[in-house]
Amino acid sequence: MTRKMVFVDTSKCTGCKACDVACKEWNELPAEKTHLITSYQTQKDFTPKTWTYMTFIEKYENQKMNFLMRKAQCFHCAEAACLKACSSNAISKTDSGYVVIDHDKCIGCGYCEENCPFGVPKADQANKKYYKCTGCIERVENNLKPACVHTCQPGALEFGERVVLLGQAKKRLTEVQKTNPKAQIYGEKEMGGTTFLYLLLDRPEVYGLPANPTIPLSLTLWKDVIQPVGGIAVGGAGAAVAVGVLANLLRGNYRSSEDDSNNHANS
Amino acid sequence: MAINTQIKNPAQKQIDPNKVLRFTKGERLSHWVHAIAFFVLLFTGLGVLSTFFQPAMLGVGGIQVARLIHRGVAVVFVVVVGLMFFVGNPRYHWEWLKSVFNFTRADLQHVTAFPKEFFGAHGTYPPQDKYNGGEKINSLITIFGSVFITLSGMVMWFATSFPPGLVRWAYPVHDLSMIMMTAATIGHMYLCLLHPDSNPALAGMINGYVSTKFARSHHAKWYDRVKDEQNNS
Repeated sequence: MTRKMVFVDTSKCTGCKACDVACKEWNELPAEKTHLITSYQTQKDFTPKTWTYMTFIEKYENQKMNFLMRKAQCFHCAEAACLKACSSNAISKTDSGYVVIDHDKCIGCGYCEENCPFGVPKADQANKKYYKCTGCIERVENNLKPACVHTCQPGALEFGERVVLLGQAKKRLTEVQKTNPKAQIYGEKEMGGTTFLYLLLDRPEVYGLPANPTIPLSLTLWKDVIQPVGGIAVGGAGAAVAVGVLANLLRGNYRSSEDDSNNHANS
Repeated sequence: MAINTQIKNPAQKQIDPNKVLRFTKGERLSHWVHAIAFFVLLFTGLGVLSTFFQPAMLGVGGIQVARLIHRGVAVVFVVVVGLMFFVGNPRYHWEWLKSVFNFTRADLQHVTAFPKEFFGAHGTYPPQDKYNGGEKINSLITIFGSVFITLSGMVMWFATSFPPGLVRWAYPVHDLSMIMMTAATIGHMYLCLLHPDSNPALAGMINGYVSTKFARSHHAKWYDRVKDEQNNS
């Protein structure tokens, strides 16, 4: 399957939260008790049962208030930090660009959540497994749109081929920039290119997003240097011991060790 | 088990003139609590480290049980050995610490000559103290490894209480500490179990005593001092 994309055009979003509801419905996720966080936002962060939610920022400029609204969910990164960090090979990436967790393999170590620049995966404390947006992979593979895209009334969410939608997004950006000069695309290069790509009306920091999300240096060092080199070091110690045993055998040290262990005077 | 480490004057306990007390009860207790806890932690930790070891966790009831054991034994690993520096007769623990951080010229000469001995030949180096250069390095790896694996482990255990930037660094630190200690342990076990010349040292960690022959040939500086103390007491 070719690389897919969901274009999140925040300039068209009305903050209706229908995507949130559609996600819950399709994925059979129970509703959770919410409370007001800020503005119209009622969900603070992802939970194992809430994979997408709306963030609201009220921005004041020239005594005029503008809503900056964003549908938050897993970005489905091309270079996914969670996948690299996973201890159990439970996270994989599909050709279509979706990053999915295999719950049979997940052991709940939490390395994915800590290394995700967006803190997306969340643990179900009862079964010790991590959950996040699946991108409705099972719908997509059956030629259906993701549930959130399917339900979006103002057309803020669009699903399609990445190459096609990316061009469309850029065209839309030039248009939006006429009225919102700070508008920008987020997700074209970030994390190797994300499957959920945004048109933001302001800088990512204003939305609480990292300006330059990357695979953490500590993660690269850990997985690409310390673990392989450490494996060689431990193997080397084992090999040295094997050689040592062999050398002692060949020298006949084991035979005579009883009587000559004291012949070895160093002083 | 009663922890009685009160050995006021170990020299008086010497019964056999051909033997010399190398490690008191307290020192041996610390060593074995550390060693056993280390292996349990290594085994259960490997289950999380790699899917290669995960099936072996069925032996303890699955990976989730292994993770619980890992945390429980970690507390023993830190608290029991830590306490041994303050209860009972901690004098020798502190002497060990002081000694391993005092890396002398004789130690360096031991370390450079030792590879030959490791592979069964004869190495030449000056008389060694209670801990030779190699033992000091093994001790330093153990000390720093234990400290860093404990600190990083606490950050990983209570990850929600720490910023992600710190938790991310705890993972490589935890693995690096484990790797250093595992490599050192492999060498350590070879020397005490399979190395004919060093093997007599094992008795010192089991019943406390080593033969005077071994003490004289491997730790002459220490042996002479112990003899002096005995004669002067």
